[in-house]
Amino acid sequence: MTHAVLLWRHRALVGVLVRRELAARYRASILGFFWSLLNPLLLLVVYAFVFTTIFQARFPGGEPYPLFLFAGLLPWMFFSGAVLDAAVTMVDNGPLLAKVMCPPEIFPAVTVLSHLVNHLLALPVLVGAMAVAALFGAHPFPWTIVFLPLALVPWVLTTAGVAAAVAAGAVHLRDLRDLVGHLLNLLFFSSPIIYSLEGLDLHPSLMAVLRLNPFAGLVEVYRDLAFGGRVPEFRTGLTALLVGLGIFLLGTWVFSRMRDTIVEAV
Amino acid sequence: MTPGEVLFDDVSKTFRLKGRRVRHETLKGALFSRRTRRKAASPVDFKALAGIDLKVRPGEVVALLGPNGSGKSTLLKLAGGIFRPTSGRVQTEGRITALIELGAGFHPEITGWENVIINGMLLGLSRREVEERMDDILEFAGIGDFIDRPVKTYSSGMYVRLGFAVAVAVDPDILLIDEVLAVGDEAFVARCLDRLARMRRRGVTMILVTHDLEMAGAFADRGIYLDHGRVVADGPTDQVVARYRGDVAGDRVELERVRSPVRVLEEGRRWGNGDVEILDVEIRADGRTVRLLPSGAAAEVRITYRVHRTVDDFVFGLAWHGADGTLVSGHNTDLDGLDGNRLEGRGQISCVYENVPLAAGAYTLDAAVHARDGLAYDYWCRAGELRVTAPVQWPGLWAPAHCWEGPHGRK
Repeated sequence: MTHAVLLWRHRALVGVLVRRELAARYRASILGFFWSLLNPLLLLVVYAFVFTTIFQARFPGGEPYPLFLFAGLLPWMFFSGAVLDAAVTMVDNGPLLAKVMCPPEIFPAVTVLSHLVNHLLALPVLVGAMAVAALFGAHPFPWTIVFLPLALVPWVLTTAGVAAAVAAGAVHLRDLRDLVGHLLNLLFFSSPIIYSLEGLDLHPSLMAVLRLNPFAGLVEVYRDLAFGGRVPEFRTGLTALLVGLGIFLLGTWVFSRMRDTIVEAV
Repeated sequence: MTPGEVLFDDVSKTFRLKGRRVRHETLKGALFSRRTRRKAASPVDFKALAGIDLKVRPGEVVALLGPNGSGKSTLLKLAGGIFRPTSGRVQTEGRITALIELGAGFHPEITGWENVIINGMLLGLSRREVEERMDDILEFAGIGDFIDRPVKTYSSGMYVRLGFAVAVAVDPDILLIDEVLAVGDEAFVARCLDRLARMRRRGVTMILVTHDLEMAGAFADRGIYLDHGRVVADGPTDQVVARYRGDVAGDRVELERVRSPVRVLEEGRRWGNGDVEILDVEIRADGRTVRLLPSGAAAEVRITYRVHRTVDDFVFGLAWHGADGTLVSGHNTDLDGLDGNRLEGRGQISCVYENVPLAAGAYTLDAAVHARDGLAYDYWCRAGELRVTAPVQWPGLWAPAHCWEGPHGRK
C-alpha cells in the first residue's frame, strides 16, 4: 500500500510524465492525437471485414462477432500494451533513475496511465460502433456501457500490479523482455477474448482450468457492460475487483522486494 | 539536523558485479531470501565503500579526490539518495540537487520548455515554482528561441547549458557535482563556476567529484581523499590535494626502492616522510626578516633545512597563495634547472626575487622539499605569511609597474 501512497504523493510528477509520454509518442506524426482514435477504428474495420466477409463468423444467437471481439480486445490491448512497455520503462528511464533522485515506482505507473488515456480515447470508437450496429438493427445498443468506468477499476489495478512486477523483474532478468511477449500471447488465447466460454464445448476439467484464469472474469465483466448490455452478477463483479486488488498487491510486493537494487542494475 | 547537513555513519556499499549466474540468483534471492543472496554472491562482491564516517557542515564545500574506482561517485550517489547503503546510515537535511549528468532525462522529442518543467519537477519543485524560475533559467541557458523546439535539435552545448540552468535553479541546500564541469566550452565553465561561487556564498553545501586538482584547490574548503573505498586524508583542500599528488607520484616508484612512508607531521598543514626537515622559512628584505613588504620591493625567501636520511634527489619548491587561496605563483628548483642530486647535513637555500609585483593584500607561502617524482619529504603549508602594502589598492593580485601612453600624454 505504501506503493499507492508514494504514487499519490508524486501525482503531479506522474501527471507531467504521462503527458510527456503521450506528447512524445505522437509528436512527429501528422495526425498526432487522432491516432489514439484512428488505431482502434482501423482495427475494427479490419476485423469487421475479415470476420463478416471472409470467415462469416456468427454466433448462434446472431450477435455480430466483430463487435464481440472488439469489446474484448480493447481492454486486452490496454493491458498487454502497458505490460510490454513496462518491461523496458526502467531501462529507458535509466538516465533519470541513476542521476536524479526520483522514486522508481513512478515509471511503471506512468506507462500504465498513458495506456489508460489511450484506452479512454478509443472508447468513442467503441460507443460509435455499437450505435451504428444498433442503427442497422444488428445488435441492441448496450446501455450498460455507461458503467464501463467501474469495469476499468479491476483492469487498472491488475495492469498496474503486473506492470510493476514486470518492470522491476526485467531490470534484473533482461530475458524477461522477450519472454513477456510470449507469456502475453499464451494468456491472450487462454482468456475468453476471441471466444466466449459459454460457446465452448470442452471437457469440464479443461473448462474449469480456463475459468480459473483471473482474466476470464475481467474480460467478461468488461464485455457484459460494453457489448452484452447486461450488468454482471454481483459475485462476478466482486471477484474481478478482488482479483485486481490481489494482483496489484502482489505486483507491488514483488516490486518492493527488488526496488533497492533497481538503480544499480539499470 | 540543520538544512545543508550531510551525515555518513559507518556507511558501506557493496556491489554485486553482474554475471550470468548472479543475475538469476539476484532475482530469486531478491524475492525470497536476503541470506542466500549474500552467501551466493560473495565471490563477485565489490566493496565500493567501507566504513565511511563523514560529517559535512552546512555551507561547507568538499572536494572528493582519489583515483578511478576509489568510491567517489558512489559516495556522491549515496549522499544523493540514488543508492542505498549496504550498511550504516546516510542522513541529509534539506533539498538536494545532483549535477551528475547535465540534462539527464531530457526527452528528445519534446520541447526544451516542457523538458525544463519536467526536470524541475523531478528535482523536487512544483510546476508553479519551475514556471516562476523560467526567466532565470532561460537567461542562464541562453538558447533563445530553441526553447520551443524539440531537444533533439539542440547542440550538445545547448543541452548541457539548459541542464545546468535547471539544476541550479532548484535552489538546493545541498549540491552534488560529479565531473560535470569537464564538459562545455571555457566560457560556459566560467559562468558555471561563477554561479556555483554565488551559491556557495549563499551557504549552499557542496560536494564535488573532480579530477581537476587546480579547481578543487581553488574552490573547495575541504578535501577528502578516497582510495579503495576508504578515507585516506580529510582536511583543508590544499593539503589533501598535495598529499594526493604525492601519493600518485609515489605509487610509481614504490616498487623500485623502499622509502619512509609519508605521514602527516602536523594535522592538515604539514606532511612528508621526514627524510629532509624544513627547520625554518623566512621572508627577508633589506637583510632582515619581514612580515610586511611594499609592493615591487626586492625580497628573498630563505629555507633552513636538516637532512635526516641522505636523499638521492631533491626539489625545493615555493607556492604563493592569495588570501582566498588562489595560487599566485609556484616555482621550484627542478623547473628552474638547479641540479639536485644529493642532499645531506644541514643547510640553507634561498629564492631571490628582484622585485615582488604583488598587489596589496595578504599572502601565504607554502614551502616544500620533495623528490623529483613528487614524494614529499616535508611539505609545509602556510609556512610563511606576508602582507604587501601599496599606495593604491589595485584590485587583483598582480601589480606590475606600468604607465599609460596615448593622445593625452604619458602618465
